[in-house]
Amino acid sequence: MLEFDRATKQFARVAALDDCSFVAKSGRLTGFLGPNGAGKTTAMRAVFGLVELDAGAVRWNDAPIATAERARFGYMPEERGLYPRMRVRDQLLYLGRLCGRGRVDVNRSVNTWLEQLGLAERASDRLDALSHGNQQRVQLIAALINEPDLLVLDEPFSGLDPLAIASMAELLATVAQAGATVLFSSHQLDLVEDLCEDVVIIDHGRVVLAGELEALRAAVPDRFVDIHTRGPAPDWSSLSSARVVACHDGHTRLRVDRATDLGQVIGLARHTADLVSFAYQPPTLSELFRDAVAS
Amino acid sequence: MSSLRQVWLVAAREMRERSRSRAFRASVVVMILIVVGVIVAPSLLSSGSAPRNIGLAGSVPTDLASTIQVQSKASGMTVRVHSYSSIAAGEEATRRSRVDVLVVDARKLEWRGQTDEKLRGVVASAIQLVAVRARATSAGISEQDLLAIVAPVPIANTALGSVAGRSKDDETAAMIMMVLLFISITTYGNLVLTGVVEEKASRVVEVLLARIPARNLLAGKVAGIGLLGLAQIAVTALAALVATSSVDSFDVPAARGAVLAWVVVWFVLGYALYAMVYGALGSLASRTEDAQSVAGPVQFVLIAGYFVSFGAIGSPDSSWARVLSFFPATAPLTMPVRIAMGTAAWWEPAVALALTVLTIAGLVELGGRVYTRAVLHSGPTLKLRDVWRDHHAPERNVSPGRAASSGTARSPRRARRHSGSVATIARRSG
Ligand SMILES: Nc1ncnc2c1ncn2[C@@H]1O[C@H](COP(=O)(O)OP(=O)(O)OP(=O)(O)O)[C@@H](O)[C@H]1O
Ligand SMILES: [Mg+2]
Repeated sequence: MLEFDRATKQFARVAALDDCSFVAKSGRLTGFLGPNGAGKTTAMRAVFGLVELDAGAVRWNDAPIATAERARFGYMPEERGLYPRMRVRDQLLYLGRLCGRGRVDVNRSVNTWLEQLGLAERASDRLDALSHGNQQRVQLIAALINEPDLLVLDEPFSGLDPLAIASMAELLATVAQAGATVLFSSHQLDLVEDLCEDVVIIDHGRVVLAGELEALRAAVPDRFVDIHTRGPAPDWSSLSSARVVACHDGHTRLRVDRATDLGQVIGLARHTADLVSFAYQPPTLSELFRDAVAS
Repeated sequence: MSSLRQVWLVAAREMRERSRSRAFRASVVVMILIVVGVIVAPSLLSSGSAPRNIGLAGSVPTDLASTIQVQSKASGMTVRVHSYSSIAAGEEATRRSRVDVLVVDARKLEWRGQTDEKLRGVVASAIQLVAVRARATSAGISEQDLLAIVAPVPIANTALGSVAGRSKDDETAAMIMMVLLFISITTYGNLVLTGVVEEKASRVVEVLLARIPARNLLAGKVAGIGLLGLAQIAVTALAALVATSSVDSFDVPAARGAVLAWVVVWFVLGYALYAMVYGALGSLASRTEDAQSVAGPVQFVLIAGYFVSFGAIGSPDSSWARVLSFFPATAPLTMPVRIAMGTAAWWEPAVALALTVLTIAGLVELGGRVYTRAVLHSGPTLKLRDVWRDHHAPERNVSPGRAASSGTARSPRRARRHSGSVATIARRSG
């Protein structure tokens, strides 16, 4: 379990982390969200001692983190980078051995991962001979090479094509299932919604929402009604407890409170048009995010 | 994993990757060729062993040929004497370069081209000697008396160097060693500089520092490149040693084994000293284009050290040379010069070494600190001042509005801290 305990970091003019506390549990995928400049990268760097906190602490399994613990961590920085002129295999071997593992052991991992990510025949090419997407894959292997207990990825999905996104998502899920703690930041909320059990949303360095995604969604007092109608648009303004979130081509999304009489909503729709479909749901992650960051 | 192992892994990578480069391999070969060439070439060029040819024509005294042989042997030349039946035949042979000089009637020397002064001296003195002998005989002086009269006075030839016991050749040898030291320290120091900047520019440094402490990364880099440099210097010194021993006429005290060993030691010290500075300064730049400008000051110091050491060859026992050979920034170039010129007492290199080692220890601490703080910073080139200020007097410019607006939700501790800084800001502005 990774724990941020009132982590605080002040740069010259901005508070990048401001009393930031949350946990990422083992065996689970935790999505780390926040608008640009919220402090995500700073928080992740703090895990690896790349940023010195002014106050507070980051703990791993209830103990402060030292170099020895980091040998069991994997990290993919926001700014990707490896040695451009070094061969892929040599590079991964080197990074694996820096974590303190033996040559034979690392070699086995390198082969397995290269095989798994379809890079086996590029192993003796220089890194800069690879396409951007393949370089990203090597970077991912670099983070996984020591079979980490904690995997921290800063925007791992940026710059990937849809197929690569799907395989990356699958891989992260597998790693988490195997027992590792996986914390990753992303701006692709739909993806995070599909993928993560837990989310942490920060803004201006402070945690504004954190916990199990399903529970967070359920806890919101508002519900959302998605109605698809055919024919003249119903007059939603007569519903006092509902607010139109979006409306186009007969698709309407209403924000209602939990006490709203759904029969009345359906009746209003049927009054002027044919009802095609109807759904009553808690908010999406995007809506949670917007509410949390706006407040 | 122990720090030492991490340092070794980093060093091993540096050596492996760099020794693979063609440029490195070429530089090893070129350096050996230069050094061996400089040692061997003079003895090949000035080889007095090639025999000279002297032609005799016209009326020739009977003992002239034998006298020429004796005289030339005395001055270390081998000559062959050819007799021609006529002057025309002799001149023809001279024109065809079969002989270097034709002696006509024992009075005239005819050359194919320019006069060879040394050969002229030998032949002229032989002619004089033959003439004197003939006149002495006719004057009734006995052969024995004559020999006593004309017995040559041995005249020694010595080129005075700048100090006793060292010749011009020693100065040349010291200069070559000093230049090579300068080139090596600059080259390998610059490899550290560009290596650090490249790691920063390619961003790989963040991946590395997530695994190992910055200090170990810098130490490994300096050690790896240094070992590579040491290997090159050692191989070059060895080649120099082999070359000097294979050239038997070579007697240059400044290029003996003990001096060469000191040169290797001073390379290690000079490199370690400058590499730490290069590494620390390199961490201030973010782009490879900025590497040279950031290292400008240390480059300047190194070049200044080069020039004063050059001067020290001419006056190695002057008081300024003595002082500079103890000053850590110049010692790696000046002290080897003084050792080569034989003006350093046994304890002087030892003291200079101790001073330099102490300085290196200080620089490892200082450079390591600068590197650790600067290497993750991206954006415009940092100033040393910034690195220092950022970490010694952290500014906490918390905006008063923000602290007040969020004050209620805060723990007392945080609130106190914030109100404290608000008070500080208020005091400053008031
Ligand atoms: N080394 C630094 N020096 C000064 N300010 C910094 C530094 N690093 C980060 N900041 C500031 O701290 C704040 C948080 O930055 P951070 O990179 O952590 O945000 P982020 O959540 O990762 O944003 P993004 O989604 O854009 O990647 C920003 O205002 C940024 O300008
Ligand atoms: Mg970021």
